[in-house]
Parts: sequence; C-alpha cells; structure tokens
Amino acid sequence: MVMRRLCLFLATWACAPVLIAEELGAMWGTAAEEARYYPIVNIPIPATVPMRPGGLEILPDGRLAVGTRRGDIYFIKGAFATPPQPEFHLFASGQDEIFSLAWRDGAMTATSFSEVLRIRDADGDGVADRYETLSNNWGYAEGHEFAFASKHDREGNIWVALGLSGSYESHNLFRGWAVKVTPDGAMIPVCSGLRSPAGVAANAEGAMFVIESQGPWNGCCSLKHLKPGGFLGHPASYNWYAYAGDVKEPVKPNSDSRLHIERSRVKELVPPAVRFPYIKMGRSLSGFRLDQTGGKFGPFAGQFFLGDYTLSILLRATTEQVNGVWQGACYPFREGLATGVMNVEFSPQGQLVAGGFTTNTQWPVRGAEPFALQRIDWNGITPFEVREINIRPDGFVVAFTLPVDAGFAADPASYEVSTYTHIYHAGYGSPEVDQTTPRVISAVPAADGLSVRLVLEKIEEGHIHDFDFSRLRSKAGAPLLHSKAYYTVNEIPGK
Amino acid sequence: MPPPATPGAACSRMRMFPFVWVILLVSTVSASAEVLLPGITGANLEASLKGQLLLEELNCAACHEAGPALAAASKKAPRLGDVGARVNPAYIESFLRAPHTVKPGSTMPDVLGAMPEAERAATAKQLTHFLLSLKKPSFALQAPDAVAAGHGATLFHSRGCAMCHSPRDAAGRETLASSSTPLGALEQKYGFKSLTDFLRQPHLSRPSGRMPDLRLPPREVESIAHYLLQQTRVPGHLHYTQYRGQVWEGIGQDAVEPERAGYAEDFSLGSIGRTHHHMAVRFEGWINLPAAGQYTFFLKANGGSLQVDGREVFSKEPKDRRGVVQTQGAVSLAAGWRRIRLDYYHTGRDPSLTFEMEGPQFPRRAVPASMLSVSDQPIAAFISPPVDAELAAAGREKFGALGCARCHDDVGVSARAAAPLARLDPMRGCLSGQPGRWARYDLSEEQRKAIAPAVTQSVPLTSTPEQSLHGELARFQCLACHERRGLGGVAPERNALFTGTAPAMGDQGRLPPTLSDVGAKLTAAGLEGALIQGQRVRPYVDAVMPQFGEARMRPLVALFAEVDHLEKAVFPAVADLQESKKAGYEMIGEKGFSCIACHDFNGQKSAGAGALDLVSVTQRIQKNWFHLYMHSPQRFHPGIIMPSYWAGGQSQRPDVLGGDAARQIEALWNYLEAGTQAKNPLGLSRQSKELRVTDVAEICRGRGSIGYRGIGVGYPARISLGFDSEEMALRLMWKGDFATVDLGSFQPRGQDTVSFPAGVPFHRLHSLEDQWPAKGKTTFGFPQNLGYQFRGYDLDALRRPTFHYTYGEVRVDDFFEDARDAAGKPFFRRTLRFTAPAGTAPFYFRAACGGKVATDGPGKFTADKLQVRLASPHQGLIREGEVLVPLTLPAGVSTLTLEYQW
Repeated sequence: MVMRRLCLFLATWACAPVLIAEELGAMWGTAAEEARYYPIVNIPIPATVPMRPGGLEILPDGRLAVGTRRGDIYFIKGAFATPPQPEFHLFASGQDEIFSLAWRDGAMTATSFSEVLRIRDADGDGVADRYETLSNNWGYAEGHEFAFASKHDREGNIWVALGLSGSYESHNLFRGWAVKVTPDGAMIPVCSGLRSPAGVAANAEGAMFVIESQGPWNGCCSLKHLKPGGFLGHPASYNWYAYAGDVKEPVKPNSDSRLHIERSRVKELVPPAVRFPYIKMGRSLSGFRLDQTGGKFGPFAGQFFLGDYTLSILLRATTEQVNGVWQGACYPFREGLATGVMNVEFSPQGQLVAGGFTTNTQWPVRGAEPFALQRIDWNGITPFEVREINIRPDGFVVAFTLPVDAGFAADPASYEVSTYTHIYHAGYGSPEVDQTTPRVISAVPAADGLSVRLVLEKIEEGHIHDFDFSRLRSKAGAPLLHSKAYYTVNEIPGK
Repeated sequence: MPPPATPGAACSRMRMFPFVWVILLVSTVSASAEVLLPGITGANLEASLKGQLLLEELNCAACHEAGPALAAASKKAPRLGDVGARVNPAYIESFLRAPHTVKPGSTMPDVLGAMPEAERAATAKQLTHFLLSLKKPSFALQAPDAVAAGHGATLFHSRGCAMCHSPRDAAGRETLASSSTPLGALEQKYGFKSLTDFLRQPHLSRPSGRMPDLRLPPREVESIAHYLLQQTRVPGHLHYTQYRGQVWEGIGQDAVEPERAGYAEDFSLGSIGRTHHHMAVRFEGWINLPAAGQYTFFLKANGGSLQVDGREVFSKEPKDRRGVVQTQGAVSLAAGWRRIRLDYYHTGRDPSLTFEMEGPQFPRRAVPASMLSVSDQPIAAFISPPVDAELAAAGREKFGALGCARCHDDVGVSARAAAPLARLDPMRGCLSGQPGRWARYDLSEEQRKAIAPAVTQSVPLTSTPEQSLHGELARFQCLACHERRGLGGVAPERNALFTGTAPAMGDQGRLPPTLSDVGAKLTAAGLEGALIQGQRVRPYVDAVMPQFGEARMRPLVALFAEVDHLEKAVFPAVADLQESKKAGYEMIGEKGFSCIACHDFNGQKSAGAGALDLVSVTQRIQKNWFHLYMHSPQRFHPGIIMPSYWAGGQSQRPDVLGGDAARQIEALWNYLEAGTQAKNPLGLSRQSKELRVTDVAEICRGRGSIGYRGIGVGYPARISLGFDSEEMALRLMWKGDFATVDLGSFQPRGQDTVSFPAGVPFHRLHSLEDQWPAKGKTTFGFPQNLGYQFRGYDLDALRRPTFHYTYGEVRVDDFFEDARDAAGKPFFRRTLRFTAPAGTAPFYFRAACGGKVATDGPGKFTADKLQVRLASPHQGLIREGEVLVPLTLPAGVSTLTLEYQW
C-alpha cells in the first residue's frame, strides 16, 4: 500500500501519468565528457542497512547524515574519503519517512510527512533520546500529503512546503501552502499556491525557494520563490486563507491564460523564478542545494544544484532579482546517476552528494539501482561551460567558465535564441506556446573572453529564452560541454 | 454361499477348492509379490526386529490376539467411516476386487482372492455399497490446474513427499517405485478436494501416523494435489491458462508467468475469476463446426492471436497505451471437431474481450459453450452411484464375515477373531505364500521368513532402548532423510531431491541434520519442537520435518535422551554474569566473531549464509553439547563451513575474558539465554520489516490502523501500545509480537488488541451529557483549537518514551511502563505528570472506553476486557461507554497514575 502510495505520488508529482513503455526522453549524450571533470563515486551501502535516502545533511564533525524512508537517521563516517570508506552509525530511528534534515546547535531537525522534529542525544551515548516535535499543526490525512523542508534560515526557522492532497486538491489544513516553523515551535503560514513541491532551499541572498512539479497550473517543473504573502500559482490552496491569520484571499486566476497576464490581475501571484523546459531539463525535479563551497566544486559557486528523480540527472540554476521579482536560468550539469535522485548536499570537501531510490512499481526511473548514495567529485579541471546568464535591459550577459574564442563569440550568427511560454491553466502541464525567435543584434565579448554581451532584437516578457551556444568555441578550440541554457524572463530591467 | 471365512484360520479348507488357485493365479499374476515398506525392508536392522516391525505394520494382531503391547504398536488400518467422501466409488470396488493389482505393494490384504470371479465381483460391489452407505457420499472430481501442478511437481519432490514415495519423471511415471511407499493411480482414487482434505489432516483417516502431516501452507497442499491428480479427466468446454507480467512480450517469454489454469465456459472473461491490469489468457480446446466452409473470427481486445485447426487466423500485438482494437481473420475449415486456441492480451485498466465467429449455418455471434469441448473425444462425467440398500446390507454382513472389520474397526461392524498369534503355524495360511481362503498379503519370500520367528515367539520381542529407537526410526522412515550412526541417510538416488535456499551453506543448507547423538544434543523442548510441534529451525532446507502425531512421537523424546550420551564438558565458573553476558554480546556482533555474518538473529536475516537463527539455541540445544560443538564443529558435522573460533585452544579474541575458550563459550551461552530478548548485537541487519522488541523498547511511526500520526511502542514485557500524536491519545494496546514496519507505516502484529475510539484525552465538559470531542471531517485545526499541542517524547534508559504535550496552560508528561503482576502477567502503568498554573479550571480525563463499562470498587473499572486501576486519591466515574476521571489540578506539579491490564 505504501509503495502504491509513492507510485501514485510520483505519477502525479511531476509528470503526466506515465506508463512503463513510454520513453523517458533522450539523454543529453554528455555523460562521458562530463566524467572528465566531474567523476561519479559510489558510496557503498552495507546489505544490513535499509537505505532509501531522503534527507541529507553534513554534521559539524564532517560526517554525512542521511534520513531515510524507513524513518532512520544514519551518521556516516568516511563517506567523503577517496575511495569512500563509509562506517554507518544509527543515530535515530522509528520515524515516519524522512525527506529533509537540518543540523543546528547540537540537534538534528528532521521533517517527515507528520511534523518538524528536533532530535538530540542528551545523554551523549551517540544515540538520540530526545524527540521534540516543533510543529505538527498542518493537516495530514491522506497518503499523498508530502512535506519537504529547508535548512534553517538566518532566524533559525524551518520552511516547510506542503503538497496538495493527492497532488490535485487541498482537503486538509494548509495543503498547498508553505509554512515557517520557528525554533520555539510556532507555525507561521507563508504563502499559498503550491502543487507538489519537493525540495526547499535558500539562495545566496537568503531568499527561500521551492521546487515545484509540472501539472495543473504548472506547465513544467519550476523553481519558485516562497514570497511571504504570495500566491504561487495553484488556487486549490485558497481553502485555508481563513486559517492563515491576517492575510486576504487573492482573486482567483483565470484558466487558459498566461502567467504574465494573470500577474496583472492577481497581484499576489509570484511567477516561477526559473522554469525547466519539460524533459529537456528534467521531469521530476527534487532536492536542491546552493553551492557554498567557495570554488571547491568548480566554477559554479553560489549557484543551485538540483536533482531530478525520473531522469537521474543533476542540473544547475542561477537566480537574480529584477524589479523585485526573482528570475534566472537553468543549465545541464551531469547525467548518468545510478538511481532516482531525491536530494543533494555538499560535503565540506566540496563534493556533491546525491542520494535517492527507485520504486518497484510502474514509475519509471532511468537509473536502475533500487537505491544509491553517490558523490560527484570535481577533479580540478575546469570544463568549458556557460557559467551564468544575466538579463540586461536590451539583452543578456552570458558568462563562461573559460575564455571564449573571440572570433566565434563576436559573431551574432553564433547564437540561436528562441522563446516560448506555457499555457497557465487548470489542465495538466502545457505544450510550449507563443514561440518567437528574436534576432541577436550584437555580440560583444569582454576583454578577458569570460563573458559576452548580447543585444536582442526583443526580450519577451513572461517567456523562457532558450539559448543554443553550440557554435561557440573556447580559446583552446573546444566546444561547450553543454551548449544549452534557458532563462526565464519575468521582468525586464529598466534602462 | 460358502461358509464364513476367517482369515488365516481356514487353512485346511484350501485343499477342498483346488480350482480357486487357477483364478487367483490369473487375477493376481501381475502383483509385485512384496509389501512395500521401504523404511523397514531397506533398513540395516537385525532380522528379528524386522520381523517384529513387519508384524506390527501388517497389523497381524488385529485378527490374531497377541496382547495389548503388540496391539498398541501395530499400525491401524485406514478409517472407513467417510471413505465414500474420500475415495472414488469405482476405485473402492476395483481395489477390493484386486488390491495388489490396483495398488501393487499395498499392505491391504486380498480377502476375496479365494472366491470365483463372479462372486468376487459381486462381493466387491456389496462391500462398496456398504461403505458408501456409511455416510452421504460427497465425492467429486475437479479439473486439474496445470499451472499449480507445475509448482506441485517441485514441491512434491523437494518438500519431502518423494523421500518416501517414488519421484516421478516429466511424464509422471514413478522412477523408484520398488523402493518407495506405493501410491497407486491417485487420479482414479481421489478427487482434488478429497486429496487436499486428506493431505491437510492425514491422521484423521490414517490414525497411526505413518503418513505424516507436512504442515504445508494451503497453497502448497493444493499445488501438490493438482500435480498428483493432473491425469484427472472431467468434461468441460475450454482449458484456460492465465498469465501475468510483461504480457506484451508474448506467452512463452521469460517475463510472462503462468498464474493459474482451469476450465472456462467459453471465450469470455466471466468464468476465469480475478483479472489484472497486465495479463494474458490462453483459451484452448475443440470446436464442433456444423458445416465445412469459410469461417471468419472477430476479436475486440487490446491484443490477441487465434489458431484454428493448426493454422494462424490472426495475430495482433498488444500495446501498452492502446484501448480495445478490432481485428479479424478468415479460414476455410472442415466440419466436425477442430482444435482452437485463442491468446488474449490485456494491458491497462479495464479488461475487455469480445470474440465472435461467422460461417456456414452460423450467423455472426459468440461461440456458445455447447459447441466447445476440452477434448474431441467424449469424457464421461463422474456420477455418484446411488446406494443400493440391499447390496449395502449384504456388504455389511460380508464386512464382518470376511474379517474386514478386524482391521477397519471404526464402522460399527464386528468380526470373529482368528486363532491367537501364539498358536499359529507360520508355514500355513497367510504366511504360506500360497493363495487360499485367508487374507492374502503380498509378501516376498524374505518378508515371510522375517515374520515367521516373530509369530512363533511366545512373548513379544524384548529389545534394548536403542533397538526400540531404531525400530521407530525405521517404521516412520526417519532414516530415509536422516543418518544416525551409520544407519540410513539419504539414498544416493534421492540425494538430488534435497534442495535448499542457502547454497552458501553447502549440504547443511539442504540435507536434514544427522540424528547421531541427537538425544545428547537437543533438549526435551528441542526434540518436542521437531517431533511434535513441527518447528522448522532450518527454513532454508526445502524438505520439511514431517509430523507423525504426538501419540507416536512423544516416547521418542525420552528414548533419544536415554540412548544418547556424550562426554561432559567442563562449565567454567562465572563470577560475574553481567560481564559474561556482555562478552557474549560483543563476540556475537560484528566487532567479535561476527556470528551474525552467517547466522540469522531474532528474525533478522544475515547478510551472508543465512544459517539458523541463534536466539532459539539455548532453548533447543543442551548446554553440554553447545560447549563440545563450539570447540570443534567439525567433530559433529564433517565438512561444515562453520570454523572453530578456538582452533588449537587459541581464541581469535584473546582480549575477551582472558582469551579463555570455555569462558568465552559460556559467555556466548549466557548472552543467548535471553532468547528473543537478547540485546541486538552490533552490526545486525535492519532490513527485516518485522520489528522485534528485545531488551529495550522499540518505536515506529507513521500511517496505520491508528491514523496518520501514529506512534507504536513495543515494550520488553511483550505488550505494545499505539499513541496518536495528532490527538495525544492512547489508541491501541496489544500483546505478543510488536509490529510490521514499512516505509512510513506500521501495523501491529500481536493479538489481544484493546482499542480506544478517536478523541482527545482531556476536556472541560459543561455537563456529563456533553459529547466527548473528536475530530470531525471539517473540524480543521483540531485539536489545536481545544488548546492541544504535541511536543514529542523523550526516551529513558530502556528507550521507553515519555510523551510531552500541552493542554491549554497545562503541560503533560505522559509515561507508560511495562510491568508484571505477581502471576507474571504484563500490564501498563501510566503516569500522567501535570504542570499547571494556579487557578487551572477543572477538567475530565477519559481513562477508558468500551461497550460495557463497569466499576469494580473504588478506583477499579472494567471496559470490556480491559481492567483500569486508578491510584488514589483519584476517583473515576462512569457514563455511557466511558470511564472519566475528574481532575482539579493544584498549582505546580501533580500526577495521576493508573494501570491497564487485559
């Protein structure tokens, strides 16, 4: 029954109902090249340990902590050694499925379906003996009602994203909301409009984001800003404004519209900051983390790294605030992980840990292992990649990890840009619509070759800008490791 | 009608009817001339003991009085009171006419052999009618399930049936008939129901237990019955076989598994039972075409293919994401019976199948059942013959006169005894080897020679305990599977039948253990477990330990202990038992000898070989043997993969208990003596879904029978509770096993459940007429709206939780401990510790609920089977279905203590 539940959850979480035989989508075909910079290292799991990794955390002493679907928390020593020599220590057990872990002030905060729980080892024997429930004040009465949580924010709050009932409707209190649980156990509703959220994490500026799944009112998976008082797109959660204190219920969005049109009607509507074109850039994004390794993981410090369950891949995303609204871009990073990725975390050594599992039912996952803990190590060699794209009033600045060949970079014909958006509606998912292909008017590489200033004929508000850089070459003559990037334009900066 | 013949006593009449010989020779010439008792015949026993055993197995004492000892030891004949329900009447009659032809090797004597053919036939009919008249005959036949029969073939050969009965080849022929207990043609004898009934409880009809009860799960019994009865023929319209798996790959592919088979009425899903999302069904049979000509067949389904008369008519592959499609094909066919086979495939939600035919004299429509048959030849249906009262009465008389009633003494017929055993001449009558008007046993020359001295013995054989033991082991064919001191053991031609699921353990993972010194190895409880209770301590050995019945096995427990002795090991003195136990705990875990790398422990599978579970060792095994064995496993099991940890007297852990072998072995014993409550060793697998409680409490949380936010707690006293952390209320208590856990959910396992209805623990009732509050469908925010807030739990040293929550301004610490009363019966003591500000308004605590609530004196209540005892000074009151305790809390800390027992 439980597996059936997870299967159902996954089937409505991110994708249209998928059957076994359906193609998962083409591989990027870059795995072999990626491995030259970012090899994947398997962290072996003893046969005695029931390990379906859900939540990941790093302890102050450098050990890896893993919360599992069986409701255990393991502390793992030696996971980051080369080769890994993991020793598993059972810290806590007997909980509901754990999908989020956060350590702070000598205690582990674990969030499960049921509650936010602060766990301590008071007698110092290495095994938890204090299980303090900070809050369980949200409704949980259907098998589908997942809860995913952030690390502690600067005030020590844990942000919890509460998925809808059956991922379509909101039958129980605060389903479809994000709430904030304070260190002294108060629960504060933050914003409505979620559907089937997965991971929650803050960006470098401290703004909190959630991963949202494709489905009704969501044309594709996206990264959404958890703006206090905001409405994040799915109106099923309007049920609970009466319980949310001093917040007014927004007007209902119209179906069969566009996000940027409805934004002018529904002033609380917060558009997704980064949209991930479906299948091209994942189909069930999950946990994500900010790279705060200060360059130990390569040239992407300060960016988000995100896992995808179905495709067993990792992506990158960057965010910037324009006219008070968050937006940004996503980029391919690494494919070929062993299992469905549920969560990621950075080690103190600057390695990216990815953990997850598959289900034994009909939900397809590209990685065939039933469960895995893996590590992506940066071997110190910098790949030639698009580092980041930022918007300008008349175009974009595209930054690279290595200097570009100025000859290619200065030629507007080296760039292919197309734009599209999704239908904003109560129906499931959306095709890409309203396509345009704006001309690149000029391309000016910086003196150091590490960026190019592009001026476009027109920037389309509310559209994903789909960049193809495959004609570019590095100074050394190499093509980009990944030649695609996708920028979501919610706002255009003023001149 | 000839005068009544008494078996064995009528020797002298033989010469008066020489013609009887001829008929007998004709009718019994094909018999095997040997009673097949392979356990005895094949055993390496003294001749006198063999003779004695044959005497007992043939139940000679039933006719020839020989004292109660022999009568008690002798094998009773099958009970016949309900034989009409068990055995096909046609079989009864033919078996009575010629038992040794119908079932060669049977211990049943032929008592009609001396009669002329016509009389023999008539007598067999009369006896049959008599037997059928004993109980309303309910015998029936059922079509075999070929899929189950396939599983049954494996089970028959691996579970143990084929260790006594002959193994069979792929065509069903017995391959070792001459060294096996005979079965005869079972499809002529039994129906599916009567055979499964017999296999489930063989001792009901065969009380002497020679045919053991294997205690197999019902599905296995049914599969074996389908296998043994696969030649059963009953009329029907179509065979079907249902498949599951990746059916779009086609029947016959690896990923497509047959699930079950049977008869279907016609080409429809209506008569084949349960259907699946992904399935295929093959319908096979014969169709009787009214006329020659062109026939067109129409299929509406997800996919399918059709063959008629060996020719493919159409084929449509199923598609995963496609609904029903139409396909059709035509073929020219001759009139009469034609073979037809339809494969139907379905993937997706709702199975749908429409199959139609159109042809000469047959407008387009579904093929009716009347045109279909499982065979192109007629098959007669089984019809229970009506009992003829006259024949039955004559049969009853013959049943006594022929002496049948001497052995089959359960049907209320009496018969005259024959000459006492001591007065018999073993060269004549039954033992003469000649046919005559006596019970004729199908004995070989050797068997007759063995019995003769036993017959003439004036007193029963006096045997040593060891001889008695070996006699029993031979009688029950124990030695077909077990070796004992060079006797018996698995015969080479049967060796390959013994299989197991732990190949890493070699022969120990598939062969039953030796019985040498077993009386010095197992405790009485261990022997009883194996002989009487059917315990399977080696689940990886596919063969199961058969159960022959307590009456016959109970004496063996003492007999083994009497016969088997080993030298005494020296048990070291243990000064500090706790230190010893702790050393044992460390040595068993992964930092010690890592016994759990190979051995299961308390239901948790080992990562390695999967050898037997260690927590039952001290109950099953004698401590003396444990010491001897641990010193040198090879001594008891040559070729065992278990190493000695004290080779040459040197411990592999010199740092533990001074490296002293005896002290270390003693420490392992002391640790294991806690049985299932032994603390889980380090490194023990946690993969099992069964969560067991050992020396400390265990907790599991999640969805289940007590809601979505349940907390299950199992206590070492083997009582458990379920606490609802959403409403902060006790919901469930149970006894025995704790829980099965899965991802985010758990279910109680034990028994004796006490449950409480939904609702919070405390409330300020305005009046006793008010409803106790519980969450309604739309009371969102309940019970926080009543001032409740759950705050988690702390664990004490025994990992027992104290739940914390608040009720308005009152903080509650709620602790349950498991305790035992003077009689050793467990109960819960619950202490509610309140911290309240001054002026806290009074409220009620709901202590218990039930259909029948009563008080038993001050502070004592019952709610159905639950007893609730309130510690003073608290008083309770009863209202309909509830025990309420009014509470007026003082400022500061106060407590309420109560006990739950059931």
